Amino acid sequence: MSGRNGFWALLFHTVFVIFVLAPIVVVCVVAFTPEGYLSLPVNGPSLRWFEALLNNRDFVSSFQASLLLGTISATLAALIAVPTAIAIVRHEFPGRTALLSLCMSPLMVPSIVLGVAFLRFLSQIGLGGTMVGLVISHVIIITPFVLRTIMNSLGSLDSALDNAAASLGSDGMTTFRRITLPLIAPGILSGWVLAFINSFDEVTMTIFIASPGLTTLPVRLMLYIEDSIDPLVAAVSTVLIVLAVLAMVILDRLFGLDRMLIGTNDADKDK
Amino acid sequence: MSPVTKADNTPSASFLAIDGLTKTYNKVTVVDRFALEVEEGEFVSLLGPSGCGKTTTLQMLGGFVDPSAGSIRLEGRDLIAAPPSKRGLGMVFQSYALFPHMTAAQNIAYGLEVRKVPRAERDERVRQALDLVGLGAYGDRYPRRMSGGQQQRVALARALVIRPRVLLLDEPLSNLDANLREEMQIELRRIQQTTGTTTILVTHDQTEAMALSDRIVLMRAGRIEQIGGPEAVYARPANSFVARFLGKTNLFPGTVGADGRSISIGSHVFAAPAAATPGATIVAVRPEKLGFGEGGIRGVVRNRVFQGTQWLVELDTEHGPAIVQRQNLGAVPPAIGEATGLVFEPDAVHLMAPEADK
Repeated sequence: MSGRNGFWALLFHTVFVIFVLAPIVVVCVVAFTPEGYLSLPVNGPSLRWFEALLNNRDFVSSFQASLLLGTISATLAALIAVPTAIAIVRHEFPGRTALLSLCMSPLMVPSIVLGVAFLRFLSQIGLGGTMVGLVISHVIIITPFVLRTIMNSLGSLDSALDNAAASLGSDGMTTFRRITLPLIAPGILSGWVLAFINSFDEVTMTIFIASPGLTTLPVRLMLYIEDSIDPLVAAVSTVLIVLAVLAMVILDRLFGLDRMLIGTNDADKDK
Repeated sequence: MSPVTKADNTPSASFLAIDGLTKTYNKVTVVDRFALEVEEGEFVSLLGPSGCGKTTTLQMLGGFVDPSAGSIRLEGRDLIAAPPSKRGLGMVFQSYALFPHMTAAQNIAYGLEVRKVPRAERDERVRQALDLVGLGAYGDRYPRRMSGGQQQRVALARALVIRPRVLLLDEPLSNLDANLREEMQIELRRIQQTTGTTTILVTHDQTEAMALSDRIVLMRAGRIEQIGGPEAVYARPANSFVARFLGKTNLFPGTVGADGRSISIGSHVFAAPAAATPGATIVAVRPEKLGFGEGGIRGVVRNRVFQGTQWLVELDTEHGPAIVQRQNLGAVPPAIGEATGLVFEPDAVHLMAPEADK
């Protein structure tokens, strides 16, 4: 196979990459403007808007809320998804496909419908506008992501591994701890990351459930641009982009990003 | 080992006693009243075409499939009640099922770790097991960095290191290429004889079964067709299925004379090797026991293949197709299209009851 791309292919890729990256780059540059409106920092860069961001109580608390919500939700989703995936992949039982469809259904239902439904339901049971309410709704919509990656990991395991462990005298719990869990760990981890990102990113549904006292970062950002567009928004975006890139680099160093996102589990790390 | 005395089952004297073992899935019987007694140290093969129930039988022994009926006793102890992890049997899987996140040594040590064997003894036994399978220098390798044959050896060492009462092998050589398979057959036999472990092998390869086993259990459609030593089963197959499955054979329809002392195939009459029951019979003659000559069964050569050490000749005879194998001692067999007679020593034949096939 020749590894060379033709001229047009290269041109297309270049234009495509520019098209995708340009807005992000522009936002990052704009964040450094010293002016009071969205503009390029032609008179030299300034950290004015980052300072403003740090002093903005609403944004800081929303950022913390989003981090906490994403972490708790993704962790709970992973804890739910592991046994569910094992049941679905490894066992035959009545209602197996129904269970799978049920777990995957939040992907099909429009977020806005979920938002309205959760708004009503959570206030009915007295959890409206609380962290618990947010966690419940987020766990439900992000579980499919973890479930999918764990099911992929499990599906690529040789089912004889469990039997082999059993024949060597290993009971079910030991086999899970020493064989299954280490082998599906990459799937759990990549699922967790996907779930966290989805939780952190979710606006459509959350906007219905969040309360003035407890709002996630993207919702706060939405509400903020409703009345004012100033470089603070660009500063928030820049912080998020930098954090995302940092996270990617760390994950890639630790586990290999391709492997995680594709969800295979060649346990290549020779520890 | 306390003898178990259940009202419905007399404790058997043999090492491993399987009786009436049956597995039914949705009214389809895949294993039908399998019964076998195995002596300690014996190497027994379950041989048959795919779908004959041999693998299901092995999985019932291993505890991975629950029998519908029957009993399995190891040294008088009822095995069926025990989960796989408590049976103390070693198993080598067709896929080897090595733990990919563990090195060869860690794989082998696993069974000892869950048994809580002390560290020093564990290391020593792992080392011995690696040496036994000729992988002394490969303990730190991960399975994916090993060849199929090496993985196979690790799987074998892992199963043997726990000193199992019985070793179960599920088509362990089927994923290896032909040369390696032959090498591993010899190796497997050597290791089995060194350790003296009672072994049950499942295979669909008759040469493998004959090369390795003390006894062969031939299965078809869930039932045992014949049990016996390799030479005995080859020389005296119980029926035409067994005869055909264990290598090539010629089957001629024949009749045993009223006195039970002579056999006729068409016009060719010869003395019976032993007293036989008068009436219709099937005369089986192995290809290597047929020769060319005057008289005998008349036939025309359809095809002739030279294979170096031997000639393979296919003929059409008045009693159906025949195949002849002649060792290459210099004589050239009849050419294609030539008419010839097929002769054999009277004691080269084996008589079988006509197939009661439905």
